[in-house]
Amino acid sequence: MKQKLFFVLVVTALVLTACGGGVATQAPVETEAPVATEAPATEAPATEPPAAEAKVATFIWTQEFDSLSPLYQGMWFSEITQQFWLCWAWQFNEKNEAFPYLLTELPSVENGGISEDGTQITMHLRDDIKWSDNEPLTSEDFKFTWEMFTDTKNTVSSAYPYDNITSIDTPDEQTVVINFEAPFSPWLANLWQGILPSHILRPVYDAEGTLDNAEWNLAPTVGCGPYVFDEWESGSFARFTTNPNYWGEPPKIDEIFVRFVPDDASQTAALVAGDADLGAFIPYSDIPQLKEAGMTLTTEPSGFNEGWFFRIDDKSHPAMHDLNVRKALAMAIDREAVNRDLLLGLTKVPASYWDSLPFYNDPPSENYPYDPEAANALLDEAGWVDSNSDGTRDKDGVELVLRYGTTTREIRQDLQAVAQQQLAEVGIGVEISNYDADLFFAGYGEGPAANGELDIMEWSDAPGFPDPDVYYWLCSEIATDENPAGSNWFFCDEELDALIQQQSTQMDANARQETISQINQMFHDNVYWVGMWQDPDVWAVGPRLTGVKFSGVTPFFNITEWDIAE
Amino acid sequence: MIRYIVNRILQGIPLLFIISIILFVLMMNMGDPIATMGGRSITRSSDRVRLTRQLGLDQPVYVQYLYWLIGNDWAKIDLDGDGIKESNGTRRGILRGDFGTSLVNRGKPVTKVIGERLPNTLLLMVASEIIIILGSLLVGIYSALRQYSILDHTITALSFIGYSMPIFFIALLSMYLFAILFKRWGLPYLPTVGMFDPQVGKTTAQVLWHMVLPVFSISIISFAAYSRYIRSTMLEVMSQDYIRTAKSKGLPRREVVYVHALKNASLPIVTVVGLDLPLLLGGAVVTERIFAWPGMGRLFLDHVSRLDMPVVMGILLLIAVAVILFQIVTDIVYAWLDPRIRYD
Repeated sequence: MKQKLFFVLVVTALVLTACGGGVATQAPVETEAPVATEAPATEAPATEPPAAEAKVATFIWTQEFDSLSPLYQGMWFSEITQQFWLCWAWQFNEKNEAFPYLLTELPSVENGGISEDGTQITMHLRDDIKWSDNEPLTSEDFKFTWEMFTDTKNTVSSAYPYDNITSIDTPDEQTVVINFEAPFSPWLANLWQGILPSHILRPVYDAEGTLDNAEWNLAPTVGCGPYVFDEWESGSFARFTTNPNYWGEPPKIDEIFVRFVPDDASQTAALVAGDADLGAFIPYSDIPQLKEAGMTLTTEPSGFNEGWFFRIDDKSHPAMHDLNVRKALAMAIDREAVNRDLLLGLTKVPASYWDSLPFYNDPPSENYPYDPEAANALLDEAGWVDSNSDGTRDKDGVELVLRYGTTTREIRQDLQAVAQQQLAEVGIGVEISNYDADLFFAGYGEGPAANGELDIMEWSDAPGFPDPDVYYWLCSEIATDENPAGSNWFFCDEELDALIQQQSTQMDANARQETISQINQMFHDNVYWVGMWQDPDVWAVGPRLTGVKFSGVTPFFNITEWDIAE
Repeated sequence: MIRYIVNRILQGIPLLFIISIILFVLMMNMGDPIATMGGRSITRSSDRVRLTRQLGLDQPVYVQYLYWLIGNDWAKIDLDGDGIKESNGTRRGILRGDFGTSLVNRGKPVTKVIGERLPNTLLLMVASEIIIILGSLLVGIYSALRQYSILDHTITALSFIGYSMPIFFIALLSMYLFAILFKRWGLPYLPTVGMFDPQVGKTTAQVLWHMVLPVFSISIISFAAYSRYIRSTMLEVMSQDYIRTAKSKGLPRREVVYVHALKNASLPIVTVVGLDLPLLLGGAVVTERIFAWPGMGRLFLDHVSRLDMPVVMGILLLIAVAVILFQIVTDIVYAWLDPRIRYD
């Protein structure tokens, strides 16, 4: 009897296990309309294998999407996927220059698309653009997108830049008139990155009062790009197939299969083994191995640079207020050697926060050279000397020991070790600390950076690429008890503040360039930020893929031209 | 026995309640879920203020716990930030079966997030556990019956090697050897990552083929440990008087070993397996990550790194419930294996 019971238990367990595997093959979310990708809860093939002649390109993403809706996306890997199935009003080419996509032309003052005072932008849509269900894509979709981004009933990841818009007029189906309270110069790099289908989502919003729970967010039935969303299996893959109603040039590849592989080493192994055609965020140390395996490695500037952010206020070490000390910090680290040794010479030291925007980094900033002797002289001149012979400089009884914190990323910890050693050689002590990203970047009251517990903070950041806009350093953004959400964790410089505000309203590119140049010069002269290495997007492209070009803003701007060479 | 089981389940309820409070408070002090919502840049201050309010993170911890437990559909909340609580909450709380929605996959119910991954983990872990138990039983018994033989020494040496290797090393080494090098050498090779080849589709054969390396990696360490454990308990039992008596009675060797000895030697093993089984639900964090297997371990890592409190709490509670239930099951199996144990 017991043996029988045991046998029944084993068989039941196996059946349950088998059924379990089948359940996992179901489409992750129900869609608003019945879709062919839903599979029965059996172990039969849940996803129809592509036809034998179908061209399938396999991409590896090291992070899974959070959402497919532009409203709720907070991850780069989610955003770049929009070029497959959704559309931006304009895209950016391999030179990071904007070109119209849904529009007939880009608005400008010259063509009357931007008003003289810069508070109104008028866009004219193409008359042949349509959604994948053949519904026309109109100005109503643009207005609806703005409404949803700014509606407080939606917990959108960021309402920026739509919260700068005061109203939108839609005089006809092809015209969108955007009104601002004040001129908004960073519009080109920020607006209309993912349009929402009003005819699908407005009924959902009207019924539920929010789009937070719309099934479209995770399984969009309708898009407007060259591909359409087909399936997303949680933790495993997402599949995009060609859009039969695409209004543009049809893509050459039949299917984009995105596989989520969170481990860097596994991504490299899969690429080397030929199990994938494209990988992103490749660790520098794996580049030689991938090249040897026949992959093409491409680095695409995306505005990001790894650098040191300095805290200069009453919470920071008093030495941080001293320009000579900040200059000494820049000159005591051999940043060229860091790039050469830690990053295999594949990156360069950025001289400016606007390093990848040559138009705005003009005249180009010059890096402080590695010169420990000059650093020592600057520190001596500032009165920081080792009076108690403990190996660390001091002044007025205060030891020159700085708190240097960053995230747990391995390369950052490597740099911390190097910096600690090299700064010790000029008599600057460093207390290093590392935090998980969600703690390091936590807001005032929780995060060490926001709370002023660090003198030197390190991460990779960019201006509003390809726009030069910056806002962290605004005095109104200083995080305090009264303004705990503030994102200025550094200092308040009234002159810098005025320039930052000025550039954000300058619609004339040349005038804005002049202002950014002044800001750039202030950053350099006052050593407000020290660049460590350029942080471009690194792509590994397999030998099967042809026609591949990348942009730092919209990486897949020419995805329809990509092909597979069998 | 039934009374015993009911009592144990009732005792588990306050235990779960206490566990949930501890986990919730710990989670709330681990960081800021809003911090990573800004993508590659720091979350804008205006968004930080709005999201903190909309997601209820501006409430004191005990209020957030209360809402998580019993919901907030009875309370008014301020959505638009004008200081006036004008809208009704929408959460019903876990006591009414609402585990909330994910902060990362905004709007997706926690039960659905977990439900999509759990079968994948069970598929991987149950297969591994079966291989571990059956394999270690065979090897452990064989080693015990042929103590100090060449094969016993070999198995012992291999067990120590297997046990001393970290799982990430085994996983990456096996991937490199069986997937990359075998392919390079023109031999039949295994896939590196995922559950199936997109060119072929998700067939049963494909899933089984893709399970080989992860199951091998998960099994090897536990297999080494279990087989050593079984060997030692079998050796101890085989020297007992009643085994000698059974042999003297002329019982066949197979019956002596597999009926009389193994059953008694199984008692301590059941304890170990009983403790391991609930952890199956948590998945194999390292293995799932390396082989890109879409299981619970990866789900936990992905969501804990972004402080997706509803999902993480759901996973932790599921494991807590499993631990309690499997302990009860272990006790029942004890009674089945050893008639001297009585719970009534």
